[in-house]
Amino acid sequence: MKIVIADDEAISRRSLEKTLAREGYEVIAVDNGRSALQQLSLPDGPRLALLDWMMPELNGPEVCAAVRGQPDRPYVHIVLLTSKGSKEDVVAGLESGADDYLIKPWDPAELAARLQVGQRILQLEDRLVEARETMRFKATHDPLTSLFNRGVIVDLLARELSRTRRENGCTVIMLGDLDHFKSVNDSCGHVVGDEVLRSVARRLLSSVRSYDFVGRYGGEEFLIVLNNCESAQAVARAEAVRNGIANRPIQTSRGPLPITMSVGVLSSRDWDLRLVEEILGEVDAALYRAKAAGRNRVVFAKPTAVCNVPQPLAK
Amino acid sequence: MTQQTDRSSLLAVNLPELLARVDNDIDLVRELIGIFQDEFPLLLRLLQESVACEDAKRVETTSHGLRGMFSSLSAMPAAALAGRLEELGREGKTSGLAGALLLFEHEAANVRSELNAYLAEANS
Repeated sequence: MKIVIADDEAISRRSLEKTLAREGYEVIAVDNGRSALQQLSLPDGPRLALLDWMMPELNGPEVCAAVRGQPDRPYVHIVLLTSKGSKEDVVAGLESGADDYLIKPWDPAELAARLQVGQRILQLEDRLVEARETMRFKATHDPLTSLFNRGVIVDLLARELSRTRRENGCTVIMLGDLDHFKSVNDSCGHVVGDEVLRSVARRLLSSVRSYDFVGRYGGEEFLIVLNNCESAQAVARAEAVRNGIANRPIQTSRGPLPITMSVGVLSSRDWDLRLVEEILGEVDAALYRAKAAGRNRVVFAKPTAVCNVPQPLAK
Repeated sequence: MTQQTDRSSLLAVNLPELLARVDNDIDLVRELIGIFQDEFPLLLRLLQESVACEDAKRVETTSHGLRGMFSSLSAMPAAALAGRLEELGREGKTSGLAGALLLFEHEAANVRSELNAYLAEANS
């Protein structure tokens, strides 16, 4: 594990460096507080720090305060080294953000034990962060496809529409529905149906830009939000999404299955100042028309009329 | 054992303690003494100049460094005398500085002498 040692006193610094290297640490030794802070601010910087109290440029407590002022970074366990032994000094050091302190001259066994405590705390912190991230993912993503779930994709749509209005931009919304998906479940079983949904999710993600949003809206319905996409490109983009599903069969454990998708598409510029629910209603109506017109096609929703886009028929 | 502890406490440098702290790494002790020999004369001269011109703030910071240096070498009497100078500097008591410096210089000379003797023995 990496550790940064900051001590302007060369003998102490070298003793610590050698002692900790012997304990298996990857030691970075610096002679002032500013260099320590630079090391601790690196993307893959050390997460253990042993800081002398009195140092040039930035002292130990000042480094602590600066590190604690970077809340988005992984936690750093900081031990202050001090020859100040009074209760007031210890309290001041801990209040600056240090986790622990050692009084100079340090005892090697105590030093090793306290750093092991630091490592345990960091491991616990890592597990907590991992658990939080797992819970956050589960709360926001569909467990089958790992796409955004319905609540999140609708929230993202609302946020994107607000931003679009504020910046006078344009967002394109697509609602896709797999054609005859019930028959896949009925004839091949739900396991194969799930395989199809997972493959479709992957294909949808690969047919949009990295900053577009794709969510599972319902059973076999998918909502796609294209940021900063103009009306003129909407149909071509929707056609690329549709074609990404239809152009080759989906491989399943029961063999390849030809799958197609009907898509309703809408541009926010044509439907300005509409509520999210209304936007979703309009794109759903366009999807319904795509189904009614023979499936495996894109229908573009316009406020005054619905424009049917000629589509190639399903293979 | 008691006899050895008593003897150690009378010496300027507690070598058993220093060796224990570095896990009996004699090469490291040699290296640390080398650092001391390089850095101490400069710090001592800085301290002497600071005392001569009664610069209390600089006396405090320089003595603090020296206290840490001697403490790292398990030279606790010299560390305590550097600590006294640091305290006088912090409190701005310039009248006591010259006397405290004299005591410190004497103890520091003992430390240098013991470390040199140790090096000579270790190298023989």
